[in-house]
Amino acid sequence: MINEKFDRRYSDILIQGGTQCCPGCGGPLFWKIALEALGPETIVYGDGPCAMCALRNIKVPFFAIHFSFIADGATGISAAMRAKGREDITIVSSGGDGATGDISLGKVSAAAERNENIIQVCIDNEAYMNTGIQKSGLTPYGAWTTTTPTGKESNKKDVPLIIAAHKVPYVATASVAYPRDLQAKLRKAKEIKGFKYIHTVIPCPTGWRFDPAKSVEVTRLGVDTWTWPLYEIEKGVLKVSRKPEQKPVTEYLKAQGRFRGLKEDQIEHIQAEVDARRKNLIAQEGKSLTL
Amino acid sequence: MSFTRMMEGNEAAAWGAKLARAEVVPAYPITPQTELISNIATLIADGTMKAEYIKVEGEHTAMAAAVGASVAGARVFTASSSQGLAFMEEALWQPPGRRLPIVMCMVNRTMAPLGGLRPDHTDSLLQRDLGWIQLYCENSQEVLDTILMGYKVGEDRDIYLPVAVCYDGYFVSATATPTTVPDQAQVDEWLPPYRHEWYSLIPGQFKMPPQESFLKIRMELEEAHQRSKKVIEAVDKDYKRRFGRGYDGLLEEYNCEGAEAVIMTMGSMTGTARDVVDEMRAKGKKIGLIKMRSFRPFPTEELQKIAPKYKALAVVDRNNSFGSAGGGIVSMETARALYSVPDKPLLLNFHVGLSGTDVTMRQIEYMCKETLKAAETGKVKKVVDWVETHDLGEVM
Repeated sequence: MINEKFDRRYSDILIQGGTQCCPGCGGPLFWKIALEALGPETIVYGDGPCAMCALRNIKVPFFAIHFSFIADGATGISAAMRAKGREDITIVSSGGDGATGDISLGKVSAAAERNENIIQVCIDNEAYMNTGIQKSGLTPYGAWTTTTPTGKESNKKDVPLIIAAHKVPYVATASVAYPRDLQAKLRKAKEIKGFKYIHTVIPCPTGWRFDPAKSVEVTRLGVDTWTWPLYEIEKGVLKVSRKPEQKPVTEYLKAQGRFRGLKEDQIEHIQAEVDARRKNLIAQEGKSLTL
Repeated sequence: MSFTRMMEGNEAAAWGAKLARAEVVPAYPITPQTELISNIATLIADGTMKAEYIKVEGEHTAMAAAVGASVAGARVFTASSSQGLAFMEEALWQPPGRRLPIVMCMVNRTMAPLGGLRPDHTDSLLQRDLGWIQLYCENSQEVLDTILMGYKVGEDRDIYLPVAVCYDGYFVSATATPTTVPDQAQVDEWLPPYRHEWYSLIPGQFKMPPQESFLKIRMELEEAHQRSKKVIEAVDKDYKRRFGRGYDGLLEEYNCEGAEAVIMTMGSMTGTARDVVDEMRAKGKKIGLIKMRSFRPFPTEELQKIAPKYKALAVVDRNNSFGSAGGGIVSMETARALYSVPDKPLLLNFHVGLSGTDVTMRQIEYMCKETLKAAETGKVKKVVDWVETHDLGEVM
């Protein structure tokens, strides 16, 4: 009886167990949550590296090239489906942080400008993890990687705001630590015609240097410290999705080995930036971001 | 209805894509390909052609979107040139590796720096090792016909290869020649809708080829190329039966009967060479012409079969490969093809027309005479000859 129930539940989940991902990887978690919201009538187009380990196990049609090919293949798939009168199928294009924010940023930007009818998701683990933890444009300030051995000196690129500047119908940030919020955003995106962008920070215990058992906990701290605030920009209007009571950034930073080398003044600087951003977000809420 | 009028190569190519009922056209403009895609845009805008035209932001994306659309079951057409092809190259590996029968026009233009916008074959020949079929055309009519044949060959379930229809910028792309546009219904009857048996991205019908070993995939790709030779020939014959025009498959021997020396050309210069060979023939010179139409697959067996008839064979290369084993790319391939042939002819190589300089009748006459000389004396004076370094007098 219990087994039957479990089997049914398991067959409803659109990702197969036993991925090749590292323990505690947020990738399979993201796809489990996301596909539950999107449903089986979905085609996923994605990049090769880290995300591929999870993508190989999803139970909806998927096609992947390399990470220099973000959004472009999905554009072709979307055009083919339009040509075949199958616009009912949801097309999701995925990319990691290095793919979406660095090497393929131009492609994502162009797809946004063309207002392609796809959901572009960025599955952001904040470095090139597949090649072994190298800095990307989306690695946060101060984080250790093998190419920033003394900590990254520049800021994390704000891709959601870059995409919002394209005046696309929907942009949102999300976190796998808040699955219901992520699912609500995907469901909303599914109903909107045009280019939708959802940026999700996912945990990488291997690259962030923490115990894989604490994956969700650490990711949740990112949101609760307002290091990774959750918001959406619908038709240009900002709405903050969650306003948790603010915890000090040290709780998030101290939980990860990659921030071990931070000095006091650097932590103060990060806290000041987070505070300013929080203030800005709350002040701008409900307003149009069009300049 | 079928109609005939003067048409530039780029317009003929657009009609080719239209007649083939290409469903998705992701493209990015580059001289001298631009009129091709703007012609397609016009055909779509005035309702003549029904296709999704994706105005992408670069050639890399053009090919990537083509791959996505082809996997998703759409017939795809695109085109590029020169720097655009080089920028596209990472993505150009995808269609052959995944065995997607995309047809694209490579409108030949030389590579930077200092080459300008003018044509030679360096750009498409740079892409020769990727696994694309490459067919070189002489005029607008051949461009249109070859696009239709390209889909028929590439979409053959025993082949599944992408096809590049190559033609010289300006000399073909922007030169109007009489072109017959066949009747759509007749084309539809000849070219059935695209269906790839390996792929489906439709939910519930998902199909993708299994992950095989890299070696196996590469070997199968090579075998498909070898098999495609017969298919290119058969499709050419079939096309001739149906539409009244054919191109002798992989290569054409022109005025070769009784010839002791032959020159081998590729692309637009072939038309000029036909005239020169005709004139020299009229004067009793034993010279002939071979037009290489298919560079990939390379017509090895066909060349091996015909080469022993001649005492000397000159390859005219509108390309260069610096520091090579000797001569241009087509000449090196020809040398390899003929190496094992016991009665092989003497081999000469001429470089001419690089970066779009005119290949004049006088130059072709010079090449013919040098080849005849080699045939007569049994000696090759200069294995690799840069024709433009000779003062051949006034253009005739």
